[in-house]
Amino acid sequence: MLGYLFMIFAVVSAILALVQRDLLKAVILTGVSGASVAFIFQILLAPDVALTQAIIVAAIEPAFIALTVKKTTREDV
Amino acid sequence: MIMDLQLASLLTCGFLMIIGMFAAIFIDNVIKKVIGIAFIEEGVNLFIVTIGYKAGGVVPIILPEMDPSWFASNAAYPLPFGLVLTSIVIGASTLAIMLALIMILYKKYGTLSAKELLKDRSKEAVADE
Amino acid sequence: MNELIPLMVIFPIAAALLINLFGFKSTFVKYISIIVAFIIPIIPLASNFGLHYFGGHAPLESSLSGILYHTAITYSFTAFEQLFIFILGILGFFVVLIYVNSYKKASGPYLFLLFMGIAAVSALILSDDIFHMFVFFEIAAIVQVGIVAASTIKDRYEIALKYMIVGSIGSPIILLGIAFLLAIFGNVNITDIVNMINAGFPAASSPVFFASLALIFFGWLYTAGLPPFHTAKSGIYSGAEPQGAALLQAFSVITMVSILIAMVRIFSGLEIFNVILVAFSLLAMILSITMALVQTDFKRMIAFLAVGELGFIGLGMGIGTELSMTAGLFQAVNEMVITALLFIGFGAIAVVCKTTDINKLGGLISDYPKTAIMVLIGGFAMAGVPPLNGFQSKLMLVQSALNAGYPEFAIIIVLISIATFVVFVKVFYLMFLKTKPKALEVSGEKIPKSTIITLAVFLIICITLGLFPSIATDTISGFVGGLL
Repeated sequence: MLGYLFMIFAVVSAILALVQRDLLKAVILTGVSGASVAFIFQILLAPDVALTQAIIVAAIEPAFIALTVKKTTREDV
Repeated sequence: MIMDLQLASLLTCGFLMIIGMFAAIFIDNVIKKVIGIAFIEEGVNLFIVTIGYKAGGVVPIILPEMDPSWFASNAAYPLPFGLVLTSIVIGASTLAIMLALIMILYKKYGTLSAKELLKDRSKEAVADE
Repeated sequence: MNELIPLMVIFPIAAALLINLFGFKSTFVKYISIIVAFIIPIIPLASNFGLHYFGGHAPLESSLSGILYHTAITYSFTAFEQLFIFILGILGFFVVLIYVNSYKKASGPYLFLLFMGIAAVSALILSDDIFHMFVFFEIAAIVQVGIVAASTIKDRYEIALKYMIVGSIGSPIILLGIAFLLAIFGNVNITDIVNMINAGFPAASSPVFFASLALIFFGWLYTAGLPPFHTAKSGIYSGAEPQGAALLQAFSVITMVSILIAMVRIFSGLEIFNVILVAFSLLAMILSITMALVQTDFKRMIAFLAVGELGFIGLGMGIGTELSMTAGLFQAVNEMVITALLFIGFGAIAVVCKTTDINKLGGLISDYPKTAIMVLIGGFAMAGVPPLNGFQSKLMLVQSALNAGYPEFAIIIVLISIATFVVFVKVFYLMFLKTKPKALEVSGEKIPKSTIITLAVFLIICITLGLFPSIATDTISGFVGGLL
């Protein structure tokens, strides 16, 4: 049951990330989507992949993007 | 249950890929393009993991008290999981390079609009002279 | 000495890392990279033919079906791979030589990219494992972007970002295709997949199999730079330094050939495969020539011609007879050498004249007679003038198209060759023969000796392959015989 919840979460936060005007919010929502997919991996019997996903996609990639946003601009015009 | 976990997961990765593809092609902001590309990769990774999933199975880690033949018929298929690990890391590295290029280009042009950054400048240079 | 097989990949990677580590010591980097570049073409010559199983995991035999299953990543090394890796090594050596000679400070990261690329494409052509191919395909793509971004051309970052965004859409798609194959066969080893198809595996005729063909084919179009990616691909050739562009073209040719061979092995049972292969190859040839005709930037022109030539390889493989496939792969070998010659030759002119606009150039034959003549012969080789190597492979292609009962393809090949000749002669006339415009100031800079030597060596390879094509075609036809 938890699996379905995370799937909906992943898709919804992905859509929300792309409609944000503030890029920093988009970055946070990207991380949320990545973390939900990590939970789905755990439920799909792949704990090792879930760990990697949680570290790289849910933490490091948003950090990279946030750094870029900080160096460039926050507004999506 | 209306639909089983594997099917729902396949639908999710389909949605993620379509959302990502849409963002990568149609959204003008390059950072959002990059986020879209990250979603495409996430969707493909989820697809590969879903291939390996076995309903009612166990995690493919053999423990000392497990019977090998029972384990072989009940464990999920671990090969796709191994492949996904590599592809996640590849995705992160391409993302990092794209972001680095974006930072350099922002310094040069002061904008994140793909139309401005990626337009064909060879013709413009001729027109200037 | 089968141990040398993995060394063809590991040695350049290790050398690349070492060079990057000592990137601050310029002279040290120069010497060590020359030595490494000299050793790389020797390894394939010294190695024995055979298979290499990583980790020593020999294939297991299934007790039920008696089919062999490869559990390890497998490298297969035959005379065919030897030919390609040797030519690549030669190109790499001369590219490194020119780079080290023409820049006072050798940059460690740039040499790192060159060696990493050589390792990646060597792994691509050696590997028998489709996911392993994908990993090195991604490394090769990143290396290509890096070589462009590290050049001194004006719009390099824009070109690099554009190619990277296109590539980031293309590579998940090829991965999805591989995932479909994995879902059907539960395996990523090409030999195993082919064995299962031959044993009458039921899912091999399912729609999912078609879908995986479509996805992998799309990814292949991106690596090869066939339409709709021909503009992005020719962009990266013109965005790189001349010697970098020469190596980039070799990378694309080998990546294209190795993925194409994997596709031919897996999907040749599907009739639609040959149809789409021929269709896209013809489209590439025609579109690239028309794009090349309207350019005013001569680097861009040569880049489009180079992309168009890739169509001949696809066409030869698509016709599907033994002779045509031999011709296509022979064209691939010739293509690497000829375009390297042209990129380096024209690139040297671009460096000394500081412009790439053909309308501002002219009369350069009096300043650079040696380069002009060698570039002219290289262009003739590309257009297919006897007795050069391009002539031999195109003649074989025409013959094979006629033998297979497709005279229309033969006509198109001849027409495209003539168009290539026209484009090339136009470029040559505008750059070298027409009276010199007053605005052009030739700085009197000499073209470096290393460039002249490189051009001469490539020309010798072209003429040798043109006079004695059996050196290459014997190995290739042996390989193609095993493929069919």
